[in-house]
Amino acid sequence: MKSNAMIDRYRWYEVIGIYAGVLLFLTFVLAPFVEGFLVSLKPLTYLFSSPYKFWPQNASFDAYFTMWERVPLLGRYIFNSILISTVGTIIGVILITPAAYAFARFDFRGRGPLLGAFLAVNMFSGAVLLIPLYRLMRSFGLLNTYFAMIVPGVAFVIPTGIWLLRTYMLRIPQELEEAALADGASRFYTFRRVILPLAMPGISVVAIYAFLTIYAQQFIYALTFNSKTEYMPLPVGLYAFFGRQDVIWNELMAASFLGVLPVFVVFIYLQRYLVAGMTAGALKT
Amino acid sequence: MGQLNFSNIHKRFGAAEIIKGIDLEVEEGEFVVFVGPSGCGKSTLLRMLAGLEEVTQGDIVIDGVKVNELPPVKRGIAMVFQSYALYPHMTVFENIAFPLRVERTKEEELRKKVEAAARILQLDQRLEQKPGQLSGGQRQRVAIGRAIVREPKIFLFDEPLSNLDAALRAEMRIELTKLHKRLKATMIYVTHDQVEAMTMADRIVVLNGGEIAQNGAPLELYHKPENLFVAGFIGNPKMNFLPVTCKGAGPDGVKVEYDGRTITVPVAPRQGMEGRRLTLGIRPEDIQIGKGELDIPVAPSVIERLGANTVVYAALPGSDTENYCALIAGSAPVRAEETLETGVFAKDCHLFDEGGVAFERQVEMTEVDPELLVATG
Ligand SMILES: Nc1ncnc2c1ncn2[C@@H]1O[C@H](COP(=O)(O)OP(=O)(O)OP(=O)(O)O)[C@@H](O)[C@H]1O
Ligand SMILES: [Mg+2]
Repeated sequence: MKSNAMIDRYRWYEVIGIYAGVLLFLTFVLAPFVEGFLVSLKPLTYLFSSPYKFWPQNASFDAYFTMWERVPLLGRYIFNSILISTVGTIIGVILITPAAYAFARFDFRGRGPLLGAFLAVNMFSGAVLLIPLYRLMRSFGLLNTYFAMIVPGVAFVIPTGIWLLRTYMLRIPQELEEAALADGASRFYTFRRVILPLAMPGISVVAIYAFLTIYAQQFIYALTFNSKTEYMPLPVGLYAFFGRQDVIWNELMAASFLGVLPVFVVFIYLQRYLVAGMTAGALKT
Repeated sequence: MGQLNFSNIHKRFGAAEIIKGIDLEVEEGEFVVFVGPSGCGKSTLLRMLAGLEEVTQGDIVIDGVKVNELPPVKRGIAMVFQSYALYPHMTVFENIAFPLRVERTKEEELRKKVEAAARILQLDQRLEQKPGQLSGGQRQRVAIGRAIVREPKIFLFDEPLSNLDAALRAEMRIELTKLHKRLKATMIYVTHDQVEAMTMADRIVVLNGGEIAQNGAPLELYHKPENLFVAGFIGNPKMNFLPVTCKGAGPDGVKVEYDGRTITVPVAPRQGMEGRRLTLGIRPEDIQIGKGELDIPVAPSVIERLGANTVVYAALPGSDTENYCALIAGSAPVRAEETLETGVFAKDCHLFDEGGVAFERQVEMTEVDPELLVATG
């Protein structure tokens, strides 16, 4: 223990306990990824060799190349996935930001119940509401379009998004707005010049949250509301690797990894905002 | 311009009445300080004037125009907040320029105005920094700069110095006074610090529980407090209050008895006061060691030696808390628990009736320049 602070001093058995605990949970979280990655490196014929070997023999990245030929639309699927999440995130943020501001600052009738309702909505995942949603989509004529996957995705990130951002905006001192008001700025001007820049870390958190959630949930909506192959996102597209007789596991895993990649990149790139945004209380004025 | 008039202002938050009928006139160019204990409604009054809080009842008139319904910017006021309310993401320059940007001032003129304000406030070297990189005093100056560029008729300050340390506060006090002289604008300044009030104000308005307790020049409040509240609030250490009994009134004042001894306080007499319980007010700095016209022997329990002065605390007979305080010379030979003879002179005493209303003091305060007793316009 290099740290000198008293609070960071542990006895040796405490240190061992902490690391053992971390290891245990990391195993559960990461083992599927490791296994998946290793499978993607194995030639298909070795996959079902018995006894099963964890470490691949003749490891190669072949699957990462052959998968494009076996499923020519793979690129399209990946593009669809990213497109749906990106557009959904943009629409989500555009809707959430002003709404969160209103919930943070305006005292209107029904504000409390509405916020409560937003929280309650989170108890239902989109999956529970698939049938009503289907009917809704049909009457709006949205079935088999990109919007069929984007709209419900956005709808389900809005309540949590508003909660997240509202909490963040509540921490922006009211005096800043009063000062702007006293200087003659309109509500909208204040929102644009003062609130938006200060809420940026919070907005980033919401954007990341929206992107990840929409990315993870899109396959439910895709399966239900879309039957056009060329609009399918990657998680559904992966079914193409399920052949009539056998499943091309190594390529399936390779494609999956490629699918996780955007999320991964987004996360790595933005995680410092995520942490900063979630812990920010210290708005230094 | 910058003449201001409150008439019968009330403010209610729900059922709670916070401001209970304020009437006040402020002349153009005056530096008026609102003081009062925490929660007495100073900020509320200021915010109503600024247009950040609605007026429940009554009129606010600036330069002859009723402004109750006008938005802040139309009132010709600029406000400096206690927390400075600087925009943390903008540079000092942009912070000061904010009101001008709102008005869509031309870039060239804007730059000139901001730079002029920065020069007055010695911020020229800081224009490109963010507020987070500045010290408390500098942030305060940026907030003032943002007020100056608007060229308002009336400046409003809500406890602008309360976040600063003592030394910086003294420095900023002087700077603000200089700024007032230079800009000649009307300034309304809220504080609960009576030193700030006494030093900067042309006129002090003492608020208590949403009402004006007294309104006058600093020295007028000090020498002629109209009631117990103001007497206790202005002056540090606090005025001593002794329970006395009235023994009669004559042309040379009111005769009162304390602990078997009598003194005739030179105040405007009133009839029929005999036998009433009154309150004798004595400022700690008016207490002498040794004999006076009224002698008060005490046993000091705490002695604070400040160098220039010594503060003596003692409990009066019949009390178990330190309710008697004397401010005496720094080298005075006093010891804790050793009986100390203290005395006061009648001309220094204040007298209050049962309702806390002062008897007007008759004394000629020859040592005070009479001009200082009148609020200057
Ligand atoms: N928005 C509000 N809603 C309800 N009550 C309020 C509101 N604003 C202020 N008050 C009440 O009004 C009273 C006066 O508040 P105000 O802020 O004017 O006091 P103050 O004199 O400025 O005190 P301080 O010296 O502590 O700043 C307080 O009792 C406060 O609780
Ligand atoms: Mg206040």
